[in-house]
Amino acid sequence: MLEAHSITVTYGSRRVLDRVDFTAKAGEMTAIVGPNGSGKTTLLKAITGEINAGGVTRLDGQNIAKMSSADLATRRAVLPQSGHVAFPFTVLELVRLGLTRGFATSATSGQDTLPHQALARVGLSGFEGRSVQELSGGERQRVQLARVLLQIWEPVLDDMPRWLFLDEPVSALDIGHQLVVMQIAHDFAQMGGGVVAVMHDLNLTAMFADRVTLLDQGRVQGVGTPKEVFTDAHLSACYGCTLRTNTPPPFGGPWILPQAASHHPNHIRASARAPHS
Amino acid sequence: MAFVTSRLAPRRPAALAGDRQMRALALRMALVMALIVVMLLSLGWGAASGIDVPGALAAKAGIGTASLRDMAIVWDIRMPRMVTGALVGAALAVSGTVMQGLFRNPLADPGLVGVSAGAGFGAVAAIVLGGFLPVAIQAATGAALIPLAAFLGGWASTLVLYKIATRGGHTSVATMLLAGIALGALTGAVTGFIVYRASDDQLRDLTFWGMGSVAGATWAKLLAAGPIIVLTLISAPFLARALDALALGEPVANHLGVDVQRMKRLAILSVAASVGACVAITGGIGFVGIVVPHLLRLVQGPVHRLLLPNAAILGAIVVLLADMISRTVVAPAELPIGIVTAVLGGPFFLWILLKNRAILEM
Repeated sequence: MLEAHSITVTYGSRRVLDRVDFTAKAGEMTAIVGPNGSGKTTLLKAITGEINAGGVTRLDGQNIAKMSSADLATRRAVLPQSGHVAFPFTVLELVRLGLTRGFATSATSGQDTLPHQALARVGLSGFEGRSVQELSGGERQRVQLARVLLQIWEPVLDDMPRWLFLDEPVSALDIGHQLVVMQIAHDFAQMGGGVVAVMHDLNLTAMFADRVTLLDQGRVQGVGTPKEVFTDAHLSACYGCTLRTNTPPPFGGPWILPQAASHHPNHIRASARAPHS
Repeated sequence: MAFVTSRLAPRRPAALAGDRQMRALALRMALVMALIVVMLLSLGWGAASGIDVPGALAAKAGIGTASLRDMAIVWDIRMPRMVTGALVGAALAVSGTVMQGLFRNPLADPGLVGVSAGAGFGAVAAIVLGGFLPVAIQAATGAALIPLAAFLGGWASTLVLYKIATRGGHTSVATMLLAGIALGALTGAVTGFIVYRASDDQLRDLTFWGMGSVAGATWAKLLAAGPIIVLTLISAPFLARALDALALGEPVANHLGVDVQRMKRLAILSVAASVGACVAITGGIGFVGIVVPHLLRLVQGPVHRLLLPNAAILGAIVVLLADMISRTVVAPAELPIGIVTAVLGGPFFLWILLKNRAILEM
């Protein structure tokens, strides 16, 4: 269980997050959605301990501010939005960095093959010898995902769930690999781990996320299942455009389509804002 | 579990694809052998001819005898010089590697952030102003005065730099680089002022020292600076994993379990100590810290666990070779070794850049 209470972040005079409460359960995939600048990435950075924020974040009962980075590294892994690599590592060398704290798994054998398994999982078998700096953006993002997966290879260790934090994991990917990556996250949760993902694609979110937190202007505008949160009024108000949710077969979940090309002016957004749920 | 499999790239059978460990270890064996050869050559190389080097080496171990002249030249002149060259070369290359990893920039160098300038200031102050110290202190420090002052100078400038660049527990690399340039200019100016006030004899010392030279190496100097260098060389591999993780950025290194602030403090201290000690005994020997790690990265990649030991060995080889050249080109006189490394290293470095401009974008 991840519980963040009253998370507040201020950059200069601008309050980026205003007393945000956020919870996520192990065994589920929780998505954070919202328009640009709503504070999604900042929230992820606050609950992973990357930035100092007001409020408290507890990971399975432990205050993360009081945990060492070494302890945190065995409990959770974080995939950042952009991954600049300073030196020309090969793909294999970079994936192995997931083991900076050593092998934190219960397995005693076959550990040499784990980096290869992680690469196979993100569809990059055979890329081991390529230089990371020569890969495309999407390939690089998947290499980073393989590194992150390797860090917490087993979703449950010593009866404790481990956590996967993903910041826009599919933003650079083609539609096929978007599904690959979402499936990996989904499986990780199915096996007992916890997944928290910042997402832009509402339809992928509706397909894969168990729960959604909708942010706008640094505040929580909705919490619940995709079906509960993704209502026409809610989404249209937050994103400032007319969105219509449908329920197409065979998927059965909400499916969001834009209804007009125009973006609402700000004063309409304010009056159309849905109440907190 | 059924994963959607990628249509990309067929599975390659080569188990070691992407693993440059074997290459790095093979290279290390070759470098060790080359180092042994260069060390022996260095002992046999010099103005005096007809020296029975093997005899002198064996005599020390109690096997056979050698003339007093041979013993003195091999053991009191060439041996400390060879050991100094090897240690300083190793330390410069390792410091360069650590600094580049720390700054996440292959062009970073202790010379760049004012560590060398600070150490140089300490050494110059000790040479020129050392005579004004109370006799008791002069006697107590002896040959250790210059290394000590250089270390203190390098360490102090690094500390000031670190304080300037660190805010709220976060060290900004950009601030550190820029502040380093400013600080380097400042200490350079103060050093210049002291040099301006120096006597003619001191000026000659300073000039040669400033260009870098291992000619003045003695066991006494080595005893003062050597332990510091050895300590930093031994501690460097402990930074290897953290330096690798740091290549992905500080936040990612933190997420991977590295205590980034602690690691940065350790790296800075180790670089300051080792550069300070090097500057003290040999003055400014440039380009070793940039060219050696660069070359090795081209061959074996950037993994620091494999890179640091090889950098130490190749650094030692490079400085010993440069020293042999400096003893030969204007024989029987000697060229300061700093000139040799600059003449060889400068064009070489430019060649690397021109050949692979992409390095600049790393």
